[in-house]
Amino acid sequence: MKSLNIWYFSSFIISILVIIPVLTVFTSFFQSTSDYIELLQNTFLYDYIYNSAALLLGVLSLTFIIGVGCAYLVSFYKFPGVNFFKWSLILGFAVPPYIYAYSLTAFFENYGTAYTLLKSLFGEGNYNSLIPKFDGMIGAILSISFSIYAYVYILTRASFYFQSHNLIELGKNLGFSKMKSLFNIIIPSARPAIVAGLSLVAMETLSDFGAVDFFSINTLTTAIYNSWLSFDDLVFSNQLSFYLLIFIFALFILENLSRKNAKYHSPIQGGIKVKQKIKLKGINSLFAFSICFLIFFLSFIFPVGQMLYWTIIYPKNLFDLNFISLLINTVLLVSLSSVALIVFSFISNYGNRIAKSKTLNFLTTISISGYALPGIILAVAYITFVAWFDETIINFFEIKSIKKIFIGSILGLVIAYFVRFYSLSCNGLKSSYEKLNKSVDESSYLAGYSKSKTFFKVHIPYLKSSIFFVFILISLEIIRELPITLILRPFNFETFATTAYIYASQDLLEAAAVPSLFLVLTATLFILIISRYILSENYE
Amino acid sequence: MSRNFLEIKNVNFKIDEDIKVRNMSFNIEKKGDIVCLLGPSGIGKTTILRSIAGLEQINKGIIKLKSKIISSEKINVEPEDRNISLAFQENSLFPHYTVEKNIYFGVEKKKNNRGLDPRKIIKILNIGNLLTKYPHEISAGEAQRVSLTRSLVSNPDLLLLDEPLSNIDENFKEEIQIKLKQILKQHRITTIIVTHDSNEAFYLADKCGIILDGKLKQFDEPYNVYHSPNSISVVKFLNRGVLVPAKVTGEFTLENEDLGLIKGNFVNIHKVGSEVKLLLQPEDLEHDDTSNLQLEVVDKKFKGSSFIYTLKTNSQKLISVFVHSHHIHQHQIKDRFGIKKPIHIKHLVCF
Repeated sequence: MKSLNIWYFSSFIISILVIIPVLTVFTSFFQSTSDYIELLQNTFLYDYIYNSAALLLGVLSLTFIIGVGCAYLVSFYKFPGVNFFKWSLILGFAVPPYIYAYSLTAFFENYGTAYTLLKSLFGEGNYNSLIPKFDGMIGAILSISFSIYAYVYILTRASFYFQSHNLIELGKNLGFSKMKSLFNIIIPSARPAIVAGLSLVAMETLSDFGAVDFFSINTLTTAIYNSWLSFDDLVFSNQLSFYLLIFIFALFILENLSRKNAKYHSPIQGGIKVKQKIKLKGINSLFAFSICFLIFFLSFIFPVGQMLYWTIIYPKNLFDLNFISLLINTVLLVSLSSVALIVFSFISNYGNRIAKSKTLNFLTTISISGYALPGIILAVAYITFVAWFDETIINFFEIKSIKKIFIGSILGLVIAYFVRFYSLSCNGLKSSYEKLNKSVDESSYLAGYSKSKTFFKVHIPYLKSSIFFVFILISLEIIRELPITLILRPFNFETFATTAYIYASQDLLEAAAVPSLFLVLTATLFILIISRYILSENYE
Repeated sequence: MSRNFLEIKNVNFKIDEDIKVRNMSFNIEKKGDIVCLLGPSGIGKTTILRSIAGLEQINKGIIKLKSKIISSEKINVEPEDRNISLAFQENSLFPHYTVEKNIYFGVEKKKNNRGLDPRKIIKILNIGNLLTKYPHEISAGEAQRVSLTRSLVSNPDLLLLDEPLSNIDENFKEEIQIKLKQILKQHRITTIIVTHDSNEAFYLADKCGIILDGKLKQFDEPYNVYHSPNSISVVKFLNRGVLVPAKVTGEFTLENEDLGLIKGNFVNIHKVGSEVKLLLQPEDLEHDDTSNLQLEVVDKKFKGSSFIYTLKTNSQKLISVFVHSHHIHQHQIKDRFGIKKPIHIKHLVCF
């Protein structure tokens, strides 16, 4: 077909470009490296691995309990405020782990906010010894968990929503108690969604840099950063990334194998039967309300309150902040990256839709693995590739070095964001695309419209709400993103995230509060805009 | 030189590498003719329509429309350049457009469209009250009528309808069938209809094609397909009678051990003395209470205007007999049921 080749070719090229950083990490395995590897093996390597594993285990456990617990309460029970908690419990997502970490420390540290509160309530006293300290590993686990448990909550809630009503009634018929039904029927049936949520949590945890760096926890991610910055060993940095990636992929394979051919819930033909929620009374109602309120408070009100408190107490920081410049920089990055991501994701999806090619489908599947690549690994892999390309290909043709164009530039940042968030954008559009029957395209062809015209006249109008959703989702991720921005940004180019990080790393938590507050409020606004979509029955 | 409106010659119809129908040939001679393709589910009827529309490629044979090759091993005119319209069986309406916008979608593209007046078709198919609604707000039957309207108003050279009335309520179906035939004939719209409903096909079609076992088994006028099926497989597919053993005893006669002498005109020539299988359709036998040929009733189906009695012969064969439902009396199961003798069947279909 005449226009097929253009779409096929474009999709093919996009997929290949996005795969490059992943390939760079994998090829590093075969390259020689400096003595740093030996030094590390004899010293901290096992500590790094142990810390990463402990962090992962802690965060997975906590997010499972919070995410599934809250989803269960708001999905199956009626109690005061349930409709408010349904969406407010996702607001924690607006607070990145590193900002949560600043708040946690600021509140509980010696002579911190907690101390001030106690002092103003009860007068002078030796409160520092009474106030618990949430730093180190515990602090990192809490910060990351409260920031990203929403992944588990959103997906599990959607799964509970779709769960066949018969399944719940089956439990009642079998004489199961509520707890027995929860553990024997409801949770096993929602397993794919829970595991999908936990997988996202695992990826985010392993790739977290801001919070673990703040609490001085040495994990594989910080090791990657150190091997590159302190020892100038890009190859070993990539090799560490390789091991981390293998670990992440192993998690997915294990989960897939464990599922075998088991089938789980599916939407019932003829629509979803609205579940009759169980109305809670008395102490049970108070308990459910308290649990949800506590999680909402800890995940959102607490960090925002802390940032707001500092901003009010130290207004000078507010006026010192170059707000306009930070806003322009953030808007610039968000708009350039979103446009690039949405346009290319569209091309790739449409190419796949009309090409019916298994090769292209495989390539696209691989290309979206960029999201599994922690930001820090991606940044390092990107620099490695550009350096290699510059030193071999560009050098061979004796052209002027391209390093300055692609590293430490807006373009470089946009490319790295593109690779990192390509799966988010591509899958976001894909899930909506898949709901559009292919005979709709064919009807358009038969009405006399070419493939390109069908794309503009049928697909774009159909997907406009998905485009908006994807745009907001990408914006949210870019605003929160830290390591890529930190490593690849141009000199003197700051965003809210990097400004907060820089102040915090200089122990100026009060000053970090202002950019953090702006970041969180912007992210909250974005989440509120898309909350209806996230929580709708269409989302899974 | 071929003057056929549509010519399909030795075509293999396939999806990817899976050949569904092999070496198929048939023609639509005149503009405005209606052809119905009948066959069991999954046999490849939809694949044939999709290939004619250009949505699937063929790797053998030629498809010509108005003497121009539109599909062959080397040529594949793009669907948008064929001026062929296909109404899909499943809902293929644009979900983000209203019913009205869906209907006018095809019309908008063809600026010099001198086809049917959409308002007229909307009125005939009774969908005027749906125009402002979105596809998800209407029923499957209504969506099918909208889809049919969209295809009709685009003024195609060839209209392809894939099970166009499958989702429409039974009580409304006949009315739509009549209206559809009126529109197609009045405006001379050449049409190929795919259906599994033989009654629908016999009513709408000028010619019927029976597709079985990956082949076009019979392509003929509906009357001939019904009364003179050309193979046992077509008989079995149409499921309108039973095959009983008989011996040819003369130029116009044969003999069955249970029914005795049967007279009629052979559709095909058979040698006197040869053993054959005779097709007995419910309309072939007449009821007569006074006859000495009495068989046991084993089943009775009420069809509204008629009863179909299933009778057991002495050799344990089951045969069906049609009786008008206003017949003076009814027979019950296990009753004796008389068959008028001598038996005379207009078309003696033997294999």
